[in-house]
Amino acid sequence: MTNHYIDLKNSDVILIMGSNAAEHHPLAFKWIMRAKDAGARVIHVDPRYTRTSARCDYHVPLRSGTDIAFLGGMINYIITNKKYFRDYVVNYTNASFLVNPDFSFKDGLFSGYDAKKRSYNKETWTFQNDANGVPLKDPTLEHPQCVFQHLKRHYSRYTLEKVSSITGVSEENLLKVYEEYSATGAPDKAGTECYALGWTHHTTGSQIIRTMSIIQLLLGNMGIAGGGINALRGEPNVQGSTDHCILYGNLPGYLKMPTASLATLGQYLKKNTPTCNDPQSANYYQNYPNFFVSWLKSLYGNAATPENEFGYSWLPKLNDGKHYSQLHLFDRMYKGGVKGLFAYGTDPAVSSPNTNKVRKALEKLDWLVCANIFDNETASFWFGPGADPKQIKTEVFLLPAAATMEKEGSQSNSGRWVQWKYKAATPPGDAISCGDIQIRMMDAIKALYAKEGGPNAESILNLKWDYKDRQGNMDVLKVAKQINGHWEADVEVVDAGQKKLFKKGGLVPTFGMLRSDGTTSCGNWIMSGSFGEDGENKMARRGKEDPTGLGLYPNWSFAWPVNRRIIYNRASCDIYGRPYNPKKKVLEWTGDKWVGDVPDGPWPPMADKEKGKYPFIMKTDGVASLFGPAMAEGPFPEHYEPLEGPLAKNPLSSQLINPTIELFSSDVDQVANASEKFPYVCTTYSCTEHWCSGALTRWQAWLLEMQPELYVEIGEELARELEIANGSKVKVSSARGEVTCIAMVTKRFRPFIIEGKTVHQVGLPFNYGWLYPKDGSDSTNFLTPSVGDANTFCPEYKAFMVNVTRI
Amino acid sequence: MSGKIQNMVRVTDPIERIAHWLLAGSCLFCLFTGLGIMFRSWEFIPELLGGLYAVKWMHIFSGVVFAFALAYAFMMWKKDCAFEPDDAKWIAQGGGYLWKTNNLPPVYKYNAGQKLFFWFVVVFGALIVLSGLVMWNPTAFPIAVARWSYALHALSALVIGSFFVVHLYLGTIGNPGTFQAMTTGWCSRAWCETHCPRWLAEREKGSSES
Amino acid sequence: MKKTEYIKLIDTTRCTACRGCQVACKQWNEMPASRTRNFGSYQNPPDLQWNTWTLIRFQEHVDKNGDFKWLFRKDGCMHCTEAACIKVCPSGALYHTEFGTVGINQKLCIGCKACISACPFDIPRFNQETEKVYKCDLCYDRLKGGQQPACVLSCPTSAITIGEREAMIDKAYRRLDQLGGKGVVYGDKFVGGTHVMYILSEDPAVYDKLPVKPRIPASVILWKNLFKPFTLIGMGAVAGMAALHYLIKGPHEVHEKKEGDE
Repeated sequence: MTNHYIDLKNSDVILIMGSNAAEHHPLAFKWIMRAKDAGARVIHVDPRYTRTSARCDYHVPLRSGTDIAFLGGMINYIITNKKYFRDYVVNYTNASFLVNPDFSFKDGLFSGYDAKKRSYNKETWTFQNDANGVPLKDPTLEHPQCVFQHLKRHYSRYTLEKVSSITGVSEENLLKVYEEYSATGAPDKAGTECYALGWTHHTTGSQIIRTMSIIQLLLGNMGIAGGGINALRGEPNVQGSTDHCILYGNLPGYLKMPTASLATLGQYLKKNTPTCNDPQSANYYQNYPNFFVSWLKSLYGNAATPENEFGYSWLPKLNDGKHYSQLHLFDRMYKGGVKGLFAYGTDPAVSSPNTNKVRKALEKLDWLVCANIFDNETASFWFGPGADPKQIKTEVFLLPAAATMEKEGSQSNSGRWVQWKYKAATPPGDAISCGDIQIRMMDAIKALYAKEGGPNAESILNLKWDYKDRQGNMDVLKVAKQINGHWEADVEVVDAGQKKLFKKGGLVPTFGMLRSDGTTSCGNWIMSGSFGEDGENKMARRGKEDPTGLGLYPNWSFAWPVNRRIIYNRASCDIYGRPYNPKKKVLEWTGDKWVGDVPDGPWPPMADKEKGKYPFIMKTDGVASLFGPAMAEGPFPEHYEPLEGPLAKNPLSSQLINPTIELFSSDVDQVANASEKFPYVCTTYSCTEHWCSGALTRWQAWLLEMQPELYVEIGEELARELEIANGSKVKVSSARGEVTCIAMVTKRFRPFIIEGKTVHQVGLPFNYGWLYPKDGSDSTNFLTPSVGDANTFCPEYKAFMVNVTRI
Repeated sequence: MSGKIQNMVRVTDPIERIAHWLLAGSCLFCLFTGLGIMFRSWEFIPELLGGLYAVKWMHIFSGVVFAFALAYAFMMWKKDCAFEPDDAKWIAQGGGYLWKTNNLPPVYKYNAGQKLFFWFVVVFGALIVLSGLVMWNPTAFPIAVARWSYALHALSALVIGSFFVVHLYLGTIGNPGTFQAMTTGWCSRAWCETHCPRWLAEREKGSSES
Repeated sequence: MKKTEYIKLIDTTRCTACRGCQVACKQWNEMPASRTRNFGSYQNPPDLQWNTWTLIRFQEHVDKNGDFKWLFRKDGCMHCTEAACIKVCPSGALYHTEFGTVGINQKLCIGCKACISACPFDIPRFNQETEKVYKCDLCYDRLKGGQQPACVLSCPTSAITIGEREAMIDKAYRRLDQLGGKGVVYGDKFVGGTHVMYILSEDPAVYDKLPVKPRIPASVILWKNLFKPFTLIGMGAVAGMAALHYLIKGPHEVHEKKEGDE
């Protein structure tokens, strides 16, 4: 989240789209209800009327996979009706920047598309620069080549009629939402958006979020109280996981994994350290080398020296142009290309798309190591339905892991609040934490490498690996402090005009002091400052003071970065540092300093041409991107149909699907687009009572009692057509597989009119697997396709085609 | 006159007496345990019998006995308790119990008062058994049936209990020489002439003709 | 003993049907789960049970304007002031606590099931094995310990709150104002006022299994207020009359015929 949970109460209009917040983030809803009490309007846009819709002011159903069309229509509305916050747009976004004249968009494709590679050459996606290399700007926003005019032209195609025909939302409902939400373009009004997997689980997922970011920027909603783009993350610690680089393309703190062609540290740093010639842009990522080298130092300790480039060559690298997402992993595994798998706290045999492919892939492994609280379908794949144990040669280990309340450590909520928690119970039997499992495993691996040697031995042998306490167990505080960062030498620093000497071994107080010369180490730069110099664990703070009254609670836990509660908060003030909304001021420039939240950069407001900086300090140009060239599909989001949808043609262009998604082509990757055999749009989701694959919650009797078995939610009209009675058993099938489940006939799914035709949509939760309960049904992901977002490879769980039949 | 004129007459068979005491015994026990359930302040009853839970089951068991005994009693005595036109006259004169009368129609075996008692016990006894069955497993019945069963059961107990007091009085001190009808089964001939003259005459005629 | 009457207020306009309350109740009271099936609804178990003392009822409703509403109602004991169940309970297992709530002491329950039929809200449930009846006791032990009931503590949106009687009734009506009068306060106007109250978004008649005008059943009133006392009064009166008869009229003597009498 750019903001945080409690901040939701400050909002005037809350758009919940791509989220079922009440069901999956019930505590977030507490704050949404507080906003409602204060008079806020809450809107729910979702294919299905859910428990969230029941508590919103109204619900707008739309067809799964058409969010960009819906939001694109809103951009069109905002621009046409001049609802944008002009001052903000001109000063804080790249709306005024002039785009390369060779940049173009035609019939669904941007300039530079390579159809064979299914990717773009982005050399035309640039700005026109002046002699100093600073982008040319037109603050009047009139120049035909400025970003704003490009934006206007692009979304002028998203007329009410077109959007209605694509999404199935009535023009009346479209206008209702557009009017209400765009009213937050006023300087004293805040609009916020809450999204979750309803947006990310699409082949265009990242671009859906981008579209909303554009809306929020046009309306001046970024950086203000009650505004922002608020991703509601998974519990207990998805935020923490991504912060600490669980994603294959990241290093801790969202640094970039090196690719093989970047053979030296210098080449890597050059590629990943942005430069900007505009002196008013802080371009904070110019400090990237400090973060990266400090990280290498934390990884390899004393073995990392300037001479050996701090161990850069020992790091494993990604092959250029190759990807290693779970989609790629299981594809390669299916083809016999993966020997072994560690599956910790996960159940891909239920939760990964295309279950048939996943389970067959697992059979090809030489070994599988699972660490879980309970047994699950993945650890037991070898005797699941359709598996013949006699034919399967995989050696499977199931390590008992401690549950979340059985270990001490930090847990990060979606608001970036890193909250320290304590151990409440001892794990049963032999169960230990995954941290302890990893320490023991790595100790053994290091010993083997020391004894036997092997390829890339230095990678292993030089690893700093001294995180045990005297009992031989993981020393959580030691790890946490390593993540915060240490001084690796005595260093004198000038801080706020004062000279200060930091001694070797001390804790680094903030990432601003990290260096790229090997004198600092830091396991995760964004977490720097989570400990005070004196060793205070700021994550454990529980101060209830709220001086601004906005719910910032600066003394409760530690928010990264540097305890900043609202990101880009200097954009909540005008260029002179005066709050746009004095009644809800996050920050204010007093003439010599910022007062309020931790400012996003201590520099004066940008009206100070000498010392002031633009507010979006992490962006190279210092301003937010309406034109965003970093995305795979294009600098402006464009509606494409899901990989498998009801239409043979995209109503907006000749490009049916996202032109840059990777297509998998094994024999089990069947796709049936616009097929009579699979005529119904299908989406998948979770439920409040179960968590993800249900591998944890199906064993909990009180939870299973409430949601005992798989169901498909099917609208009354479709149920009537198919003669399906409520509570009866049905089969749902796709081009890839099928599941049996109970039909839940409901008024909460209504048919859509798409391009003049009736299109029905159904939905299933994905919380069930064959292992337990025995008669509760098997994985919904038998139905889903192996395809994902072009930027993140997040699978398209939320839009594909099925058939439903009576049993 | 040839036939024996006896001083004592056998007015009841052993089976009648057994049925009566089973019926009376179970009825009284039901009444006793029932009052122990109905009146929470009468703790001495559950204390005596081993707890309220035990009392509940005793009441139910006794009720089942009562049901069968009642059925048998009904089969046994319904003929002799059938109403005749003269019964109205007997009732109109209070059976001679309330004021002096000289016009009482002669009774066969049972007078109208006794017949009324029989029918009240049969009807309210049946109601109390049926309502008791519902109360034994109330959720197996529609809720209105279940609810009214409790009221009906209490009402029936009220009626039966009240009638019982009358029956007790008139079967003992109110009509001397009666009680032995239900113990030894033998009453005096004079008693029979007073209380069941037509039955006596029929019996004696029969024996004299044999 | 100082008596503080509490009211637990369930504001259905804040409920997200997350069922944290349903689980918290089971956890605190150590009630086991049942093996259920999906019968075509999120509602599960389908009804209150001996081991399910509170249940969120889900109801799809189209109102008179044609608008769709998904109604959620947390069902459970209403803790009536004029409690039919206490009236009929032969053992005193059901009783009023110092908080005005209806407590239940399983040790005293004899499993007669009279409370089940008597309850106008159809709340108590019987367990075949233990032969006892169960229902929400508004976490009496927690109240005594100065704690909130488990369901109140668990509710993320504060749809369930508890407080002193007058304050809560006031709160309910203020919420109704806040909703622009679109809703109904339910619970203060019958059975002497219930200690669990609702704020409903629709008319009470719309809700499944919610009586519009709950009251102690007429049969219970007749039984307990009339027949019960008259059992003793009736029998006593008759006995009295019999005694008077004996004293005034005297027994009906039989005149024995003696030999030689004509």
